[in-house]
Amino acid sequence: MKRYDHRFHAYIQGIILLGFALLILGFIITDNIRYYIAPDMMPFIYFALVMFFILGIMQIFRSTQKDDAHEGTSCDCSADHEMKGPPFVKVLIYSIFILPILFGFVLPDQALDSSVAANRGIQFGSGILNEDSSEKASAETAEEESVTEEDDDNDLSRAEAYLEDPDGYLESIKQPPNTDEYPSEDEVDEHYTVEDIYAEQDDIDDHYEEVAQEMLDQESIFVTEENYLDIMSVLDLRLDSFVGQEIEIIGFTYREPDFLENQLVVARFSMTCCTADAAVYGTLVESDEAIHFDDDTWIHVHGTIEAGEYDGMPMPVLTDATINQVEEPDTPYVYPSFSPF
Amino acid sequence: MSPPENRLFTIGKDLLGIILLLIFLILFLNFDRLNDSEMLNDIPSAWVNVNTIFLSIVIEAIPFILLGVFVSAIIQIYISEDTIQRYLPSNVYASLFPAAVLGAIFPLCECAIVPVVRRLIKKGMPLHVGVVFLVAAPILNPIVALSTFFAFRTDLTILYSRMGLAFFLSIIIGAIIYIVMKNEKGSVLRSTKSADDHHHHHHHHQPSGFTGRMRQMSYHAVDEFFMMGKYLILGAFIAALFQTFLDRATLMAIGGNDFTAPIVMMAFAYLLSLCSEADAFVASSFSNQFTSGSLVAFLVYGPMLDLKNTFMLFAFFKTRFVLVFMITVTIVVFIAVLLLQMFLL
Repeated sequence: MKRYDHRFHAYIQGIILLGFALLILGFIITDNIRYYIAPDMMPFIYFALVMFFILGIMQIFRSTQKDDAHEGTSCDCSADHEMKGPPFVKVLIYSIFILPILFGFVLPDQALDSSVAANRGIQFGSGILNEDSSEKASAETAEEESVTEEDDDNDLSRAEAYLEDPDGYLESIKQPPNTDEYPSEDEVDEHYTVEDIYAEQDDIDDHYEEVAQEMLDQESIFVTEENYLDIMSVLDLRLDSFVGQEIEIIGFTYREPDFLENQLVVARFSMTCCTADAAVYGTLVESDEAIHFDDDTWIHVHGTIEAGEYDGMPMPVLTDATINQVEEPDTPYVYPSFSPF
Repeated sequence: MSPPENRLFTIGKDLLGIILLLIFLILFLNFDRLNDSEMLNDIPSAWVNVNTIFLSIVIEAIPFILLGVFVSAIIQIYISEDTIQRYLPSNVYASLFPAAVLGAIFPLCECAIVPVVRRLIKKGMPLHVGVVFLVAAPILNPIVALSTFFAFRTDLTILYSRMGLAFFLSIIIGAIIYIVMKNEKGSVLRSTKSADDHHHHHHHHQPSGFTGRMRQMSYHAVDEFFMMGKYLILGAFIAALFQTFLDRATLMAIGGNDFTAPIVMMAFAYLLSLCSEADAFVASSFSNQFTSGSLVAFLVYGPMLDLKNTFMLFAFFKTRFVLVFMITVTIVVFIAVLLLQMFLL
């Protein structure tokens, strides 16, 4: 049997590891990493960068050691780490590693565009509420203070019940009071009432309350990258309080196939970890100027909030908007302000 | 030591590596210029999107793969076969429960868990226990719970269902795998048995000293990274193709009714190959069109089994086991979601 050339494999692997390290370093230096990874994930990327450099250099040193000193150069289980197959298979395998490095260096780095938005389906507003919940929001604002406390206890005990005896708990909620059968798809969200949100997330609620207050204080609401998703959520929760107020948003242009000539959506991709999980959030705009802007143009919209609807869903609509073309912002994506990490 | 033509061959190999390194360096130094260059602007935007999503998945998964191979390396060097044997209950079914709990303690996502489980099985952990660990760990962990909480803060039953199902189903899946595979002779791991034996005879030594162990660990990690990495990269590429070209509208058209919706969402979860830490946000983007039950199906099935994960499983385990595993997970999750829909949601 032909001897397995540990030295050569260690050598090539070391160089590929250094290649990955250089690619990541390049992304970080040019700041193009923002097109791929959310800022919250960056510590992991730095970890990978450092590891790649260290491991790459160690691999190259490993390749300079004599093959005879076998114990030193390979681990106990080297047998199942060896690459099997004829030379072309090995070439193929290393190409799989080299290609992403070359792609990363050569192909242009850019943000996702509206064709992906069309495919993923756009979410109007924040997407945390939908259907008629915004109407409920206003109808139930009066009650919510009194309900909050009661519901809070209720939920705490629900969670405790579940933790203590998951089976029994699941048994006990087999017939929840407000779900007769499970609902058809367009009713599915109706029974998430505003009390639930307010009761269960006091912290988030306080946060939104603050944002809402800030927005009400402003002459014209200015939506930035940082507060984008917050403002979208607040607009959904409390649309009625903001009707008539002016708002400025920057985003890219997007249209549903059935839009009228004066309609467009000003949208942003929201990224949690990486672009694979990016979702599109947009606001409907109605303006005579809309016709002048192609899809994927970055625009600044200044309009007045009205309660409108699209496809039977109530949502904020910006009317009488003035639209200007702008440069793509430095951070084309927006990120959830609550970090899961 | 080597005849002349062999030496020439060696020089050629060295040269190859140097050329490769030079290419990387030149590309690195021209990073900005390449990105702005006009000639590449002709690439259809769809393919640029594929590239963006592909690189994004690869770069995002790599740190977790590295963590996984390091944990695996630590297990390889510091935990002996005896330790594992000693701490596991000898009763088959009694050992399933602690495995699920262990899965909840280790915050490993689905990329990192495959090498770890493989190592544990190699070290003598029974297969069914490893399987419980494999499906439970990516879902039952605090980060996943937190992101699910935020994504579905309007409906916490989704969070409870996800965590509850993950816990019970992992035990059920482990038990089924035990029943199906108990008569299987030999290891389910894909490895050359003879080579393994050979190695045990020769140098079954422990590396000496701290630096020796560190060096050993890093070699080990690199070898394993190259074993796993190729499957991850292939999986990420195919997932990126699906993400770009798969028209969600067509699948959604099938997804209307209560029976087919979970199937469609499970297919989505499989093809999209999202990280379990972020998939809840994607699932919430479907909440307008799909039933809660099918969202739970998406959130439970995806971390247990997805496209990039399948590639890695096929690399490490024998085909028969991977097929049994995939069929078991699919059927168990589907039935569980149907029951959940019928009685709870």
